[in-house]
This record gives sequence, C-alpha cells and structure tokens, in this order.
Amino acid sequence: MMKVKSGDLDKLGLLYERYKKRLFGFFYNLGNNPSVSEDLVQNVFLRILKYRNSYTGEGAFTAWMFRMARNVNHDHYKKISKESTYRKVLLEDTEVKSANDLDDALEQKGNEVLLRKALTRLPVEKREILLLSKYREMRFHEIAEVLGCSEGAAKVRVHRALKDLRTIFLQLEMT
Amino acid sequence: MDKEKFEILAMDFMSGEMSHEAAEDFRQFLEKNPNYKEEYKQLESIWTKVDAMQTPDPSTEMDETFYGMLGQEIEKSKKKRGWNGIFSGFFTVLKPQLVYGVLLLGVGFLVGLYFNSQEAQPGEIMVSTDETADVRQKLVLTLLEQPSANQRLQGVSEANKIEDADNIVIQALLQTLNNDANVNVRLAAIESLTNYVDNPVVRQGLVQAIPHQESPIIQITLANLMVALQEKASIEPFKQLLKEKQVDTTVKKRIEKSIQSII
Repeated sequence: MMKVKSGDLDKLGLLYERYKKRLFGFFYNLGNNPSVSEDLVQNVFLRILKYRNSYTGEGAFTAWMFRMARNVNHDHYKKISKESTYRKVLLEDTEVKSANDLDDALEQKGNEVLLRKALTRLPVEKREILLLSKYREMRFHEIAEVLGCSEGAAKVRVHRALKDLRTIFLQLEMT
Repeated sequence: MDKEKFEILAMDFMSGEMSHEAAEDFRQFLEKNPNYKEEYKQLESIWTKVDAMQTPDPSTEMDETFYGMLGQEIEKSKKKRGWNGIFSGFFTVLKPQLVYGVLLLGVGFLVGLYFNSQEAQPGEIMVSTDETADVRQKLVLTLLEQPSANQRLQGVSEANKIEDADNIVIQALLQTLNNDANVNVRLAAIESLTNYVDNPVVRQGLVQAIPHQESPIIQITLANLMVALQEKASIEPFKQLLKEKQVDTTVKKRIEKSIQSII
C-alpha cells in the first residue's frame, strides 16, 4: 500500500487480487446482491486511490481497508434508504429466494440459507462485526481498529452478535 | 468469572488467539461450569456455521471494471505527473538563470535610469554640432574643388545644409559662381548663396559677380534676385554688363526692366 501511496498505482492491482474475494464476501454477506456487491468492491478501491495519502502505514492495511468498506456500505444503505421500497424488496427477494431454495439448500448446505436469512435480520452493525470476524485472517485487534474500540470490546461485541444470530436462527428454524 | 470476561475468553479460545496454558485453563473452567460449557457450545456451533457460510466468487466483469478504472487512473496520474514534471523541471533547471536574469534586468534598469537622469550638457551638444559643421565645411570645400560637375553640385547641396556658413564657405561658393565652368553648378551656387543674402559679403559678392556672367540663364537669375533684394548697388554692374558683353536681346530687356524696377 505504501507503494500505491507513493504513486506506484500498478501495485493496487496486487491488493485487489489479494482482497477482492474477502471484500466481495463482506458485502455479499451483508445482504447485498452480487451485482451491488461488485459495485461496492469497486467503490472501496476507488476510495483507496482517492484517500491513499491518508494511509499512514500505522496499523494493519486490512483494518484501514475494511473501515473504508464499512463506510462504503453505510453510504450505500443511506442512499437506498431514501428509496423507501428498497428494504422491502431486499427482504422479499431474500424470502422468495429462501423459500424456493430452502429444500435444496437444506439438503446441500445444511442451514446456510436459513443462516443467511438470520443474518439479514441482524442489525447492520452486528452483521458487520460477525463478517469481519468470519475472515480469520483478521485478528481481534484489527477488528477493534476497524470498529474504533478496544480489543476486549471487539471480542464482547462479536460474542454478543453471535448469540443474537443464534437466537434469530433458532426462531427461523422453528417457524 | 463475570459474564464479560467469559465472553472475551470464549472468543479468544474459539479463534485460537489464546496461549496453550490459558486454553487449558479455559477448558478446565468449562468442565467445571456446565452452564458456561453449554453456552460455549452453542456459540461454537453458530460460529462454525458462519464460518462455513459459502460465498460465491465475484464475476470476471468486476475484474474488467476494476482494471479499466485502474488504467484510467494510472493514465491520469501520468499526465498530471508529466505536466508537473515539466514545470518543476523547468523551474528547477532554470531557477538560477531566472534569478540572474531578473537581477541583471533590475541592474540594467537602474543604470539606465541613472544615466538618463543626467541631462546632456548644452556644451556637449554644441561641441558635437561644431564638429559636424567642421566636417561638413571640409566636405563642401573638397567637393567644390572636384573636376566632376556632379561632385561640385553635391558640394553646393552640402553647403545648403550648413546652418551658418562661415566666410570660407561663402567665399568658396562665390568663387564657384564666378569661375565654375558648369552653368548648373553656378546656378546652384546662386541658390545656395540666397540663404545668406542678409550677409553683406554675400550681397557684395553677388553684385560683383554680375559683370562676369556670360550665361543668359545666370544673368536673368541674378537680375531677378537683385530685383527681389532691391539691391541698388547692382545697377552699375548691370549697366556695365550691358555695355561690355553681347547680351541676348531677351536678357537685355529683362535686365533693363530689372534696373527700372530697382530704381
């Protein structure tokens, strides 16, 4: 990243190749459809280019990048929340998709679809925390850096988000 | 163990961010506390599910878009750097020269201002004018002695340019009027001498030249000039001319008429 900062923009390609799947997964698992997720990945890299001079090299690059990813996602939600129908459509999409695919999914991937549905019902902040911790390459002190809190607080928040997710998941399972 | 500490340790244990000893301690703690153990198991179960959640791969279109965007940014940055490089290079290389240039310009301006403020002394101008007149006088005298009529004519025309011709030039012109073989040169001399008709020497010289003239055109020109000057001293020389020389009838009439008009 320091090379990108110093003007060697070609090196951004390396960063893209290294992190594109994780970023895409982050946006996708936050509840965005694949196409939107891809757009949001682009936005993250555009912001990296735009704000490359603000990267000091202190702390992990992934933390800096995911902080940007969170902001990109928030901005996206802000934008679509103005379109009042979005949330409804998003949920309907998920539900239809879930209903249609449920049987297959249960056979093939256990409760993944149900879990995804449970995820969409979690508040965005908690979803983000879970997804950040899902990628094991990111340690808790890095997650704390992304969230702007202490490492202990990050662990507690991940723990509680997991518990909340489990509760929703069980509720969905029973219905 | 309080709830928050358990939450932190559980996450450490689950994520593998715990030392060997600490992990063993936590395991023993779970064995001793079935409630916590149950809670931990539930947590681990959902954690495993989240972990196992599959994510599709992004499409190749995303790569294309990204590399397209990156290419554009690189191009933009090169252009920007190119111009910046040219300007910074220009100023870096030429900075000392620019400074010296501006300095020299300033010094030149001040020097110019200093010399310009010192007005030229009238004496200097007069000296230089005198020098020019001297040179011109010598030129006139030299040219009037030349065998070529053209050069003598040029000498007379140079004499016209002298503002205040001194006696030497006037004498040279009168001598030309009396002795020059060429009528045109003599005519030019008369014309040149008319510039100094206020000078008695010139008037006298012109009057004295009248009896020696043989060319009708010179005779008429002098007659006209004497009429214009109303020079009474010219009557006798004209009468002498009419007596001694065989004057053309037309000229004779003209001279007689002139004498009448002068009287």
